[in-house]
Amino acid sequence: MMLTIVIFGLLLSGSVAWLTDNKTFAGVKFQAKWLSLCAVLTLGSYFLLSIFSHAQSSVQNFSQLQLFERVPWISSLNIDYALALDQLSITLIVLTFFLAVICILVSWQEIQEKAGFYYFNLLATFAGIIGVFSAVDMFLFFFFWEVMLIPMTAIIAIWGHENRYFAAIKFFIFTQVSSLLMLVAIITMAYIHQQQTGLLSFYYQDWLSLDIKIGIAQYLMLGFFIAFAVKLPSVPVHSWLPDAHTQAPTAGSVLLAGVLLKTGAYGLIRFVIFLFPQASENFAPIAATLAVLSILYGAKMAFAQSDFKRLVAYSSISHMGFVMLAIFSFNEIAYQGAIVTMVAHGLSSAALFSLAGMIYHRIHSRSLNDMGGFWQSAPRMGGFGLAFAAAAFGLPGLANFVGEFLSLVGAFQVFPIMVIFAALGLIGSAIYGMVLFQKTFQGMPLKPVQDLSIREICICSSLLGLLIILGLYPNIILHHSFGVLT
Amino acid sequence: MTPIDNIVEVTVFTTEMFIVLSPILLLSFGIVLSLLLIAWQRSQKMIAVFSQAILTFTLLLSLHLLSGSLLTGDGVQITTLLKVDHFSYISLSLICLSALAVVGLSGQVLKSEIEVHDEYYLLILLVTLGASILVVSDHFASLFLGFELLSISLVGLVGYFREQKYAVETGFKYLILSASASSFMLLGIAFIYSQTGNLSFAVNSAAVSWSPNSLQLFNSIGILLFFSGIAFKLSLAPFHFWTPDVYQGAPTPITLLMATVSKVAMFTVLMKCCFAQGYFNNEHFVDVILVIALLSMFIGNTLALKQQNIKRLMAYSSIAHFGYLLIVLVISSEQNIDFAWRSALFYLSAYILANVSIFTIVILHENRILQNSAEREISIGDWQSMFWYRRTEAVLLMLSILSLAGIPLTMGFIGKFYLLNQAVISQSWWLISGLVIGSGIGLAYYLPLIFTMLKSSENSIVENESPSDTFVKSPPLFITILIIISFYFGIFPDSLSQYIM
Repeated sequence: MMLTIVIFGLLLSGSVAWLTDNKTFAGVKFQAKWLSLCAVLTLGSYFLLSIFSHAQSSVQNFSQLQLFERVPWISSLNIDYALALDQLSITLIVLTFFLAVICILVSWQEIQEKAGFYYFNLLATFAGIIGVFSAVDMFLFFFFWEVMLIPMTAIIAIWGHENRYFAAIKFFIFTQVSSLLMLVAIITMAYIHQQQTGLLSFYYQDWLSLDIKIGIAQYLMLGFFIAFAVKLPSVPVHSWLPDAHTQAPTAGSVLLAGVLLKTGAYGLIRFVIFLFPQASENFAPIAATLAVLSILYGAKMAFAQSDFKRLVAYSSISHMGFVMLAIFSFNEIAYQGAIVTMVAHGLSSAALFSLAGMIYHRIHSRSLNDMGGFWQSAPRMGGFGLAFAAAAFGLPGLANFVGEFLSLVGAFQVFPIMVIFAALGLIGSAIYGMVLFQKTFQGMPLKPVQDLSIREICICSSLLGLLIILGLYPNIILHHSFGVLT
Repeated sequence: MTPIDNIVEVTVFTTEMFIVLSPILLLSFGIVLSLLLIAWQRSQKMIAVFSQAILTFTLLLSLHLLSGSLLTGDGVQITTLLKVDHFSYISLSLICLSALAVVGLSGQVLKSEIEVHDEYYLLILLVTLGASILVVSDHFASLFLGFELLSISLVGLVGYFREQKYAVETGFKYLILSASASSFMLLGIAFIYSQTGNLSFAVNSAAVSWSPNSLQLFNSIGILLFFSGIAFKLSLAPFHFWTPDVYQGAPTPITLLMATVSKVAMFTVLMKCCFAQGYFNNEHFVDVILVIALLSMFIGNTLALKQQNIKRLMAYSSIAHFGYLLIVLVISSEQNIDFAWRSALFYLSAYILANVSIFTIVILHENRILQNSAEREISIGDWQSMFWYRRTEAVLLMLSILSLAGIPLTMGFIGKFYLLNQAVISQSWWLISGLVIGSGIGLAYYLPLIFTMLKSSENSIVENESPSDTFVKSPPLFITILIIISFYFGIFPDSLSQYIM
């Protein structure tokens, strides 16, 4: 019941927030933001508590998928409502909850009009994402995969910047078409299961025991891979990302970069690698090439941008390239690197996008040409900016370094030459990171800006704190996600 | 010869047949009664209520028979002409439901005129009768009978508001094209008859062998011509040219009638015929279906991209949707027929629900905004920022559009899921890629519709909000019910699909 309560609790509180926003009951004026914050905090701590109590009582410690719920849903097609968790999904769900709080906090002042509907969409997206991370029935997974897409598109289309409709449509079409390919692969898998066992099944655990001919598996794997590569995103299907990230409101960008991209990586690990081990091993050189291309291309493009958010968006492509490279290296060190990179990038890109939001709030521009010399008037912001830029280019001591280092070390055993090229990406990231910092905070002060408020300091310091903790003591994640990967 | 023996055997009309056929008999009887009613007193209100009552009873009766145990296995054969099975009842229920919606919505359109519109309702009932004959027909003759009854009554309805700008053009276009379509179909039937010597669906499959044969060509041409007649009605590419003009020019409830009743009936009979005759075994026929399906998906979706008029947009989107639906005709073996029926009927239900919802809003909107102007046309721009001042209607509209686009939480997605299942079983990868690409293009016009509704109200038409609105009390409730239905069946499709099986 726990996961169901979390998912539907989010949806329900979203609806309540929408309906009661700006209405007065018994002398108290309800505001959607307070309600959503409370809901996210309550459900988040409820989730953590039940996980802890569960982990203590059971022997398995979530190293394998542990089923929480399985009830028939569409019984004519043997589709179940099945939710399960393991350490990988728990890590990502915790990240989702943390970023959910950040998202609500960064929207605090930014979203004034139609706030009720905004928070409804935000919470619905969280619910969809948590569903994606926990669904083990493939139809249900696909269902959540789409459910998180609709409110996200609405967030971009309603509260986004000047070019929002185009960005929203592009985002939606890219994801939708690629996920239809995945749906075809899912259905085909279900029928292969029927051929082999006589029973139609969409259940993930059933599929693991299937013996699929490599010829077909190759195509099926590709169906899944394309859907996840679009979400990740990897070159050449990345082009929705810079638009969507740039046009989305701050919380939208945080959400997109922080968790939505991770659903792609999660899908690659859970479905592509585990369901089609042989096919993905055959495919690995191509995937690794795409990953290295993403790393270099992302870094190069990031360097060429003059839009703060666009720069960070391209840097995301570069960072997610490391994740894909690591995932397709098939060894434990690389996997751990991939997971640390996922979490670290979630935090650092969320931090940079929040910072972009704070700057936009002050000068109403995202262009780097309108920025400069902020250090003088806003030193605290500058300090955080420097730290976040350093995190993005992988300064030792911060989480990204650990992730990228492990990914590269792991991948080197398999693709030595590609890793050499990928490592060049690190230099690229140092360049664009410094460009970002210098253009924003150094140089001639154009106009004075207000320094960070207490709310903003809370956002920045919690993100930075986590980055440092994970950077100095990555065992928190490494220790936990160990079991998934064997 | 066996066919003749068959005929002699089944001409006895038993009580069982009477009961099985009772919904259609009730409908016909109701039409006669309403003629008498008109002779007795001409009152629009009365005839509207009476037609609604007839349709409701027909619906209830067919639902009752559907859940009853009368139908076993293959269904009941009633003379050689008709055969009632499980699926006919479902189609019949769908037809009655959409006809009910049309009759209900017509009240919104007709009230502004001075005349008494008895014949309008009568024609709708006749269209419904034609459609119900189609769904139970098991013989080319009864098919043609139903087809003609449907078309001729529709011609009358399409040009009904003769004062309006496009009425005459629309009526003529529909009349001429429809007549030529039925003549093609008749020729096709004649060709088929020349080869098989029998017009029954079931007998043909036994008589015709697909082995190469010197006169095989006639049969193929016959099937092709027959199919083109039906394709015209279903507005499949390349027989789609009338669709946007007629959709736009016809009174909106009649557009809905064409989009739902006529298409469901046509598709049902097409499926019946194809499956009974085993066309799916014929490679050439499958190729034709494949080409037409792909063309329809592509043309429908591409041409819808730049449409500003809602009715035209719906016309093009319907072309694409019936292109998708053709997937169910391409089945690999007899065992899949049941699943094909289930997929098709579910998809059709979703399609009908979405269409009824969208046209309901269009009609309400036409009434509200364009009351004074002569032109009754709604363009996408009229829906701007609707979400912020007319929440319920906008939510229904969004749900229906998402359903047409096939996004989860809606019935349309489950329908598309069924179609994909069907296509995977029959391994028709071309159709799958067509469906995927088509849906991708489709999003490019469905999403802007939704975004228009979400746009902020800078210079919107909020001033039209006034209590003096000609807003009848029933629509909001109707809209809420539609919303609930769309959500419910989108999330629990089993409650519907179990009914279909």
